Amino acid sequence: MSIRVLDPTYAASGPETATTAPLRSLVGRTVALLDNSKLNVREFLDHVEELLRTRYGVRQVVRLKKPDASRPAPPEVFARMTGCDAVISAVGD
Amino acid sequence: MMTQPLQSATYELPDALEANEFYQRQGWTDGLPIVPPTEEQVRACLDAAGLSPGEVIGIETVRQRPLVAEKVAINAVMAGCLPAYMPVVVAVLRAMCEPEFNLHGSTASTGGSAPFIVVNGPIRTTIGMNATHNVLGNGSRANATIGRAIRLVLLNVLGCIPGQLDRATLGHPGKFTFCIAEDEEDSPWVPLAQERGIPAGVSAVTVLAGESPRQLMNEWTQDPEELAATVAAEIRHNMLTYSVWPGNYALIVPKQLRDIFAAAGWQKQDIREYVYRYARVRRREWATVGKKNIVDRGGGPEQEFAALRTPDDLLVIAAGGPAGGFAAIVPPWLGSRSRAVTKAIVTV
Repeated sequence: MSIRVLDPTYAASGPETATTAPLRSLVGRTVALLDNSKLNVREFLDHVEELLRTRYGVRQVVRLKKPDASRPAPPEVFARMTGCDAVISAVGD
Repeated sequence: MMTQPLQSATYELPDALEANEFYQRQGWTDGLPIVPPTEEQVRACLDAAGLSPGEVIGIETVRQRPLVAEKVAINAVMAGCLPAYMPVVVAVLRAMCEPEFNLHGSTASTGGSAPFIVVNGPIRTTIGMNATHNVLGNGSRANATIGRAIRLVLLNVLGCIPGQLDRATLGHPGKFTFCIAEDEEDSPWVPLAQERGIPAGVSAVTVLAGESPRQLMNEWTQDPEELAATVAAEIRHNMLTYSVWPGNYALIVPKQLRDIFAAAGWQKQDIREYVYRYARVRRREWATVGKKNIVDRGGGPEQEFAALRTPDDLLVIAAGGPAGGFAAIVPPWLGSRSRAVTKAIVTV
């Protein structure tokens, strides 16, 4: 005799699953870089910024930083992402 | 009252062994075999905790992800829990959803902590929890599966999958299960939960984001101050080699050492005050453990760090087998970035 068993995983529903369409190109875009405040992330993001500007034609880079690596970014940091076309959240260590 | 239907997707499989293989393939386990969660068992768990399937036990606030009772019960069954354990599992998750626990940070961090669970009150004996021999190891179904249920919820409901959301560099064996009871019957001390505001006779859990236990031994004294000195030394070593930040340390004191403290009239508070005073290091001491590069930072070589912000930061727990001059500390994951939380267990 077979058995019927239940799925243990989170069933996504509602707004959490809504995502925007991916960008087709970064040319002329504004991209935010979020520093998680750990060691070496600033140097890493400096390099990413240079690549975004020189190789991908990004118009503006907004540099943001979490004050504490082990806590979420505060609302004022999220507020500064408004108007950006993309955000890169980088984890240094 | 109409029974609410369960919402989870179901799978039909030939038998329990095949079900286990299916769950392993899906990545829905901690690597160990699971008990296949059928509707009948899941409902028994929900009933035992007085929960309807859709009830939200707590919310992980960073990603706004709810812990829905049905999913918690499914994972508890998979872990091997009996329905009577479910109120404990629920209380642990409620504690972990309090902001001061910092659920997201402590479970995602490279530091690799695990929720260290201490159960107090009458439910310990009702469900057969172990507080004595091999208390930090294997031995009791309740200890083993309550801690495991929390891990499976973290994996399956919150996505704390190693290499994905769980970024732990090493982790530790407590990430399989890390759950003990306090030996209230054989201890002269006030139980942990009562010290933290729970009335006597009420069952409760205390949860701490803990690193792996560090065992110590001192069988060569009857002087409580010397025993406390060994404890403080172990904590100082953790401060130098792991993390200097102050926060909730747990101290597990088995009977042999408890008896020495008790004979001298020492209460938990006396131990806490001693550790508060002596578990301190200066920045210059880092030079002795290969960290001379940070001696001149911050406040300079004489800058002092204390392990505890106040004596109350130390959670003293009476547990362990009767013989052996051992004790163990459980260091905090990252100072006070996650703080211990105590919650009463709601029984039906």
